[in-house]
Amino acid sequence: MDAAPGAQQLVIARSEVHRACDLLIASTPEALQDSQTALERAVAALQEFRRGAAAPASGATSLARALRAEVFRAGRLLESLASFYQGWNRILGAMSGGYTASGAPAAVSRQGRICCRG
Amino acid sequence: MASLTSSLLSASGALDAFTQALSVVQNNVANASTPDYAVQSQTFEPLEFNPSQGFPGGVEAGQVVSSRDEYAEQAVQQQTTLLGQAQQDVNSLTSIQSLFDISGNSGITAAFNNLFSAFSAWGQTPDSSVAQQNVIEQATAVASAFQQTAAGLQTAAQDTGQQLQSTVDQVNQFATQLAGYNQQIMNGDHTDAALDAQIHSTLDQLSNDGSISATQQSDGTWLVLLNGQTPLVMQNQAFALSVGSVAPSPAAANPNGPHHLGLLASDGTDITADTTSGQLGSLLNTANVVLPGYLGDGTQDGSLNALAESFASHVNTLLTDGYQSSGPPPVAGVPLFTLDADPTRVAQNLQVSSTITPDQLAAISPGPPEVSNGVALALSQLANPTSGGDEIGGLSYTQYYAGMASNVGTLLDTANANVQTQQTAVAQAQNVRQQVSGVSLDQEATLLLQFQQAYEASSKLINILDQLTEDTMNMLPTGS
Repeated sequence: MDAAPGAQQLVIARSEVHRACDLLIASTPEALQDSQTALERAVAALQEFRRGAAAPASGATSLARALRAEVFRAGRLLESLASFYQGWNRILGAMSGGYTASGAPAAVSRQGRICCRG
Repeated sequence: MASLTSSLLSASGALDAFTQALSVVQNNVANASTPDYAVQSQTFEPLEFNPSQGFPGGVEAGQVVSSRDEYAEQAVQQQTTLLGQAQQDVNSLTSIQSLFDISGNSGITAAFNNLFSAFSAWGQTPDSSVAQQNVIEQATAVASAFQQTAAGLQTAAQDTGQQLQSTVDQVNQFATQLAGYNQQIMNGDHTDAALDAQIHSTLDQLSNDGSISATQQSDGTWLVLLNGQTPLVMQNQAFALSVGSVAPSPAAANPNGPHHLGLLASDGTDITADTTSGQLGSLLNTANVVLPGYLGDGTQDGSLNALAESFASHVNTLLTDGYQSSGPPPVAGVPLFTLDADPTRVAQNLQVSSTITPDQLAAISPGPPEVSNGVALALSQLANPTSGGDEIGGLSYTQYYAGMASNVGTLLDTANANVQTQQTAVAQAQNVRQQVSGVSLDQEATLLLQFQQAYEASSKLINILDQLTEDTMNMLPTGS
């Protein structure tokens, strides 16, 4: 997308969040680490834009709106991934440590990263 | 010699085991393109090694283990349910939105604008029969526009009912298929990988229609529940859903209002309220929440009826409070519109009085002081009201209608965004399923640890970005 020079940082921010979304979809541990870097770049680009936003370039509002939609999507993807792993964590806890007296799955002990099943 | 025999026996046993393993690999290759096929692997069991006792050692084939992770399968199904819901929302709202043209070129907006122009022209020449005739024609066009919009919404309601019925038919068909697969399992096919793939492919398709949970029972068959509690499949039995029509209660404010749609379990239990997701949830929401918001139901009149009632009643009041002629004796005006007594049928039956003639339109405001075109001017001011009496809900009639159209547009925008997000969420869940299938518990724990570290950092960054983006939008002038 061609953008006025003042809005270039918004384009960069959106592109970085979009990249973070792609990495969150891939959802390997490595991709998750890389998504942090992309999000950090997006934050930096947005802060850069805000420093020079006294005279906003044309189209900045629609770019900001598109960025917001992308951030929303990244949030949803991270949320669904978190929900998946939280559930998995509970299952692992129950499988490896049974249930607590209150009926909740036992916490997963990760000191040795060993789970026994038998 | 004994040692040689033992070695040969051991090698022969190992060859048998590896032949079985090869067969599993061949099965994996043959089913590489089978939807929802999960790779299987052959386990080996060590044999006792004690040559002096005649145990030659070696290995034998153990169980065939599927790499399928049911928890990951369930995650894909949950995301598919949300996608099915968002896609159905888009389909339903797109057809509803097409009924609301706010461009002013057609529909209720255009009819309002033309009638307000006719009132204004009549105000300029209150005795002109041409201007009076034009008011009646444009009022007829307004009534017709309300009828058409109401008819369009009723058609949308009928279409929604038909779609709900066909979705329920599809659910019942999937349930029958799954019951058939369970029968095959009960007949002894519980280790068949192709059958397992068929079951999971059917479950994936079924999850598009509603929120399902599928759990494998100790006999290997699948128990499938809708909304976590309504049985769809149990062993070789399928439990059919059905669609019902729910009339308003006789004690309701509008006992003759439009009916709701209901979803019934096989035992007749009403499960409508529990069915909030998937295609079924979307269709029920459209039928019982979105459309009644315009057309009414047992408890509400509906915004389209409210607009029609408010506008037509107000026009009638202004006209009947005026005079056709000053007399003596003065001749009072007559109502322009006739309204249905049922508040949920006002829009669909709105009409211009069949007995009114142009010269019966009352232009004279009795005052005092009497104004010869006072009523006509008051009617023309409905376009840009200056008093609360000419408004509905604090808005002009045109603005109120635009608000109704805008609400549909907003819902549609949200649904479109949800489809895009859910498509990526399904892709994500499928990727996760791919990654976790077949990994061991300690590998899972390691993945969890890696994810937890990444999650905490990423969620903080997304919160910062969310706040920064909102602040940025607030500081930007609209339209920049």
